[in-house]
Amino acid sequence: MSEVVKLQLIGLTVVGCGALILLFVRAQFARVIGFVAIVLGLFTLVALSVPQMASLPPVEEKFDIATVKTPTDMATIGQKIFFSKGQCALCHTIGPSESARCPDLKGIGAKLSREFIFESLTQPQAYIYLDYRHEGAPKEYPARMPYINKNPIGLSKNEILSVIAFLQQMSGEPISVNVAELEVPGQAPAVPVKAAQSEPVAVAQAH
Amino acid sequence: MLSGLLWAVGLLSFPALAFGADVAPAAATEYRDIPYVGSRNLVWVVAQLHLLLAGFVLGVPIFAWLCEVVAWKTGEKRYDKLAKEFTKLLTSAYATTALFGGILLFLLVSFYPKLMNYLTDIFFPSFIVYCLLFLVETATLYLYWYGWDAMQDGGKKTFHIFLGFMLNFFAFFIMIVPNSWATFQASPVVLAEGSDIARAWAATWNPTWWPVNIHRLIANVVLGGYICGAYAGIRYLSARNTEERDHYDWMGYVGNFIGVFGLLPLPFAGYWLMREIYQYNQQMGITLMGGFLSWLFILQAMLIGVLFLGSNYYFWLGITYRIPGSELKYRKPMLSMLVILLLCLGVWMTPHSLVASLEEARKMGGTHHPLLGVFGVMSAKMTVSNLMILVTFMSFIMYWRAGKEETAGWAKAAKALMSALLVLAGIAVVVLGVWGYFVPAIVRINYFSTSQVMIVLFVMLTITPLTALLLKSARTTTEMVWGKMPPRAGYALVLNAIMVILLMTLMGYARSSSRVHWHVYGVLRDSSQYAFSPALGYAAAIMALNTFIFCMIVAFIFWVATMSDKAKASHS
Repeated sequence: MSEVVKLQLIGLTVVGCGALILLFVRAQFARVIGFVAIVLGLFTLVALSVPQMASLPPVEEKFDIATVKTPTDMATIGQKIFFSKGQCALCHTIGPSESARCPDLKGIGAKLSREFIFESLTQPQAYIYLDYRHEGAPKEYPARMPYINKNPIGLSKNEILSVIAFLQQMSGEPISVNVAELEVPGQAPAVPVKAAQSEPVAVAQAH
Repeated sequence: MLSGLLWAVGLLSFPALAFGADVAPAAATEYRDIPYVGSRNLVWVVAQLHLLLAGFVLGVPIFAWLCEVVAWKTGEKRYDKLAKEFTKLLTSAYATTALFGGILLFLLVSFYPKLMNYLTDIFFPSFIVYCLLFLVETATLYLYWYGWDAMQDGGKKTFHIFLGFMLNFFAFFIMIVPNSWATFQASPVVLAEGSDIARAWAATWNPTWWPVNIHRLIANVVLGGYICGAYAGIRYLSARNTEERDHYDWMGYVGNFIGVFGLLPLPFAGYWLMREIYQYNQQMGITLMGGFLSWLFILQAMLIGVLFLGSNYYFWLGITYRIPGSELKYRKPMLSMLVILLLCLGVWMTPHSLVASLEEARKMGGTHHPLLGVFGVMSAKMTVSNLMILVTFMSFIMYWRAGKEETAGWAKAAKALMSALLVLAGIAVVVLGVWGYFVPAIVRINYFSTSQVMIVLFVMLTITPLTALLLKSARTTTEMVWGKMPPRAGYALVLNAIMVILLMTLMGYARSSSRVHWHVYGVLRDSSQYAFSPALGYAAAIMALNTFIFCMIVAFIFWVATMSDKAKASHS
């Protein structure tokens, strides 16, 4: 029996007990307790009827260099990171969407060089993409791009390269990231990160 | 022999020196757990109960002091009696809250030593401030409660009112100091260098501190009001004579009145808090509103909707049963308001994206329903929440004015102005809501939603004093009749209190879960086995349990506090 079913049974029992109290008990305080039990039981049952999503801590993608043999392997890992630890899909869409909070990433791997993508992830304020989807002057998107190599997201260099591989593969481009670039943990320094959050130095226009 | 004994004692006292010279020091314990229940669940229950009790002991003095001021200004002794009745609860409620606070502290130190070390390192100056505040608060409470009868006349009464003010003043700081610890976990500001006080101050004044302070302050007024209402409702249901029925009916009216008074501005404080969260960290905001917690806001909408309906229903029952002859006059407006509230609730509860299989999602062109999807977005939700506030405000004004006839020469013009304001505000809120679909999100969030809030606030701040002024010279056509409400009115009051408590538990879970797998967001990671947020159903079961335990504790406090009164009544 799953946890949800068990909780549903408990919820139904609580509601049933509450109903029995209201039907058969005359003492006012007990009746109020019965009423409260019904309300709380119903609340739990409603909460159990919506999608049950737990928020799990991000799974660290293992970079066993021996098993990552091709750029396609990297892209596969990158796809997982894109939708999990990287939290990219929280704001970005792959394909146009009116409610997008950030630039659409469809075909982005073909439009931008890997160096530019790397910089966009690690120095997001260097170039600000503007939203041209509406008439009038272009506006900034509502969501601000975070420093992806810093906490709370904190992707490693290997993970960032894998995401770039995924973006290129998704755009139908040859993957320019090489497996040889992956760092073996403990043998290479971490990605250098500029601590200062500098003002935007340029504004890129994305049509 | 003595030296041998001393040697043995010394050996036992310093085992590491005697036997463990080569043993490496054990790694610091980061977490501890208990079997079956789990440390996280235990801390969750105790922390929630402490927070609810704290809300109660901070809300009740505000409520009691307001009643005392009304009694002092109007000379109506029953308000003073009501204030005293609730202040009586405070001594036992205060002790219970402190007890749960102490248990919580022990549990946190035991189960989460790593986190507590970190927080202590940053906040220890404010720990000292917190202790001092407790001392002055306790002293003020003793003076306020034990001096009640002795300070009833003239200057003494003024001093007593001042003591009540100071009680709330210190209580406010008792609330905001721990708020800084909790908000720091969500939006930390960490200084790498600086004195202890500078680091503590920077961490205290974090981006979400003041929005949470204001939100909790208003929420405590709401909690105090509705718990008073629930207590009155239960006592009304079990009243044995007319005098009791009259008294508790009136008490329910006052409790609901103060609850609604706080409820109306509460969503605006919540909106401000969400804005600050988004500005601090987009990902956290999106996790809350569009990520795995998005369904939580559907539940929140349901609870707030029921609370609005319950509060309005109680107003409408009051108009029907307490003011003879008003039923027919107000039946149509009440029906219209009910329809508007239900429609608004329907829109508010429409999810942003639907639960759909991949195939269904492809057919719909996404997870947005082609028709219902229009209602699932923020523009629609902001609009209906503002409309619900306007409708509840109308109920509030309607009840206030029922049974009275305005005699002022300018009454007609004032009434026309108020009607026009309400209608225009309703239209403006809807227009801005619809327009919001056609502008970029940033324009909607920064200008349209803010304008909607300002319009509704303007209406409330204009019509309330105008009505008060109008009713000052009004003639009472029908005296209010107390003690005639049907039993369902008592249950409506209990329902409202349960909704408020559930909302507090629900939003506590939201606030904690928005940090995802971080003790201190982006700074100190949760590496325990509980570094996940449970699904909504499981969380709701714990929330329901917490609500039930809290209600039982409050009932116990009421029972203990009123025991001597009942004994006195039965002897006389």
